[in-house]
Amino acid sequence: MKRLLLLLLAFPLMAVAQADETDPRAIIRQAMDHWRGTTSYSDMTMLIHRPDWERSMSMRAWTQGDKHSLVRVTAPSRDAGNGTLMIDNKLWTYTPKINRVIKVPSSMMGQSWMGSDLSNDDISKSTDIIDQYEHSLVETRVDNGHTVHVIQSIPHEEAAVVWGREVLSIRDDGVLLEHQFWDQDGVLVKRMHATQVTEMGGRTVARVLRMENLEEPGRWTEMRLESAEFDLALPDNIFTLSNLRNPRQ
Amino acid sequence: MRSLGTQFTIATTLAWRNLWRNHRRTLVMLAAIVVGVWAMILFGALMRGMLDEMVRGGLNSLPGEVQIHNPQYRDDPSIENSMAPPAGELLASLDRAPITAWTARIKVPGMLASERDNRGLMLLGVDPAGEVALGFDPKDIVEGRFLESASDRGIVIGRRMAERLETELGKRVVVMSQDLNNEVADRGVRVVGIFRARLQADEESRAWLGRDAMQELLGAGDAVSEIAVTGNDYKAVDDWWQGLAESAGPELETLPWQQLQPFLDSMFRAQGSVNAVLTVIIFLALSFGLVNTLVMAVFERVREIGLMMALGMKPASVMYQVLLESLYLLALGLIIGNVLAVATLWPMRNGIDISVVGEGLEMAGMGSTLYPVLAWQDMLGSTLIVLILGLLASLLPAWRASRLDPVQALTRN
Repeated sequence: MKRLLLLLLAFPLMAVAQADETDPRAIIRQAMDHWRGTTSYSDMTMLIHRPDWERSMSMRAWTQGDKHSLVRVTAPSRDAGNGTLMIDNKLWTYTPKINRVIKVPSSMMGQSWMGSDLSNDDISKSTDIIDQYEHSLVETRVDNGHTVHVIQSIPHEEAAVVWGREVLSIRDDGVLLEHQFWDQDGVLVKRMHATQVTEMGGRTVARVLRMENLEEPGRWTEMRLESAEFDLALPDNIFTLSNLRNPRQ
Repeated sequence: MRSLGTQFTIATTLAWRNLWRNHRRTLVMLAAIVVGVWAMILFGALMRGMLDEMVRGGLNSLPGEVQIHNPQYRDDPSIENSMAPPAGELLASLDRAPITAWTARIKVPGMLASERDNRGLMLLGVDPAGEVALGFDPKDIVEGRFLESASDRGIVIGRRMAERLETELGKRVVVMSQDLNNEVADRGVRVVGIFRARLQADEESRAWLGRDAMQELLGAGDAVSEIAVTGNDYKAVDDWWQGLAESAGPELETLPWQQLQPFLDSMFRAQGSVNAVLTVIIFLALSFGLVNTLVMAVFERVREIGLMMALGMKPASVMYQVLLESLYLLALGLIIGNVLAVATLWPMRNGIDISVVGEGLEMAGMGSTLYPVLAWQDMLGSTLIVLILGLLASLLPAWRASRLDPVQALTRN
């Protein structure tokens, strides 16, 4: 959930500790640094939309820094109890129906997470990957009274990134408005964008985050934040395999 | 002594002349035997050609006639179950004849991802020179180039894989596997070449990377997963692989292709029996015709046989003569049939293009050209089977002829 939650909950405190605005890497890096050591608890809804059907799932998520997170499905009852635990780049899932904790192997990291348009990689890949790109500030615009930095990130030759380039639009208060994934021929393939930026739990967050594949119109996944709390005390055992299997909260 | 010799001469002469008394019937029977023998040998050669192709194809995708692994590798082909590169005694025996080439490679399961898809496959970290020596044909690179050295940092993927991933020459893809600590190891690599394979499945089941680059990615030091060895003749492997196994020592598992690919081996073994069974079936049908011909020949000559017996010919000689007649017929048929089969196969020695039906055959592990293989064992085998079965079938009419009562035979109309 690291990257996703990071994006969903935006880069807090960004406005307070303003980075050197001309260094795109510093803008991202500083946002990441501020995230470290932060804990969060949130309720959200995931809406999976297809041209002929749509379904939603309610879930709870806990995060600690950018290395630990736990997500548990609460509704519908069919999926309730399914859990995903992420520590570093590792991912485990728990399904009550089979009562098994399964470590997601690297071969399945590219596959869809719970049937959504997000891949296991999307939700678990560490933010460390920031070092594997060459970042450049391509545009600074003013939008609704906020300055928006548009940063283009081109992965290094040997970076484990399939995209030709990624384009991030980050608001000066740290909210990530848009994340575009371009292929190596310069075609926009995937796009994640945030709407309804509001205050929640004392921070500025985007309430809705939508991931869509532009090559398959009508297919998208939305993560909707219902409520969020920050900097709360989490028990030590929350990000453990035994807690994944036997929920204690 | 003399009488025996004379008897023999008389019997052979009589048998030969009797054969051509009803030349039309004899020719029809002869034609049947010729066609049977010709078909058996031709079929055998085509089957053998197919099989040879399958075994060689299988070995090329193995590749290597003998492979050395960590004993756990074949159960779990991960980088953990690797081994040190060959040294000392093993290295010495690898460089000795009859081994013509060997190479050490990394071979681990992994993933290949592009912007639009990702797929599992076998990642081969190789020394390109060694692979070429072992049987990889650089002509199979249809776009770009093959790896240049073990430290090449590019990747060569199959044509089908490129289609599946919607990627192409010159683009970056991400390889993923598990490193020594069971952690995800991934890296971006550029597609430097695209290969084709005889089997489409092979085009998406593996990709070639430089060995050094793979070792670095997996944190494997200089360890390798597999040593592949060839002596350039898969049939002769049994002569030397045990010796190599001894130099490799008990900590490593050394196996010849028969055990690595038991499927190929059992097909190979089954081939001889299949040929024999087919020959027997074809000839069983033929032998009814043969028996019929001989029964007719004896039936026509009842009076004549009675006369010979009345003049003092022994029943054994009568039987001998009928059998000899059958033998002549069989021998003629065999000679013509064999010659005809060789003559038919000769123009096909450079292969028959079967690409018209090639797509279906590919599933059975074959290429689009069939090279018939004429084995002397097949020729000898079918000749022997025809001779033995033919003579056995002739026993009945011959025996009946020898049991004739001279007086009754002479008076029969």
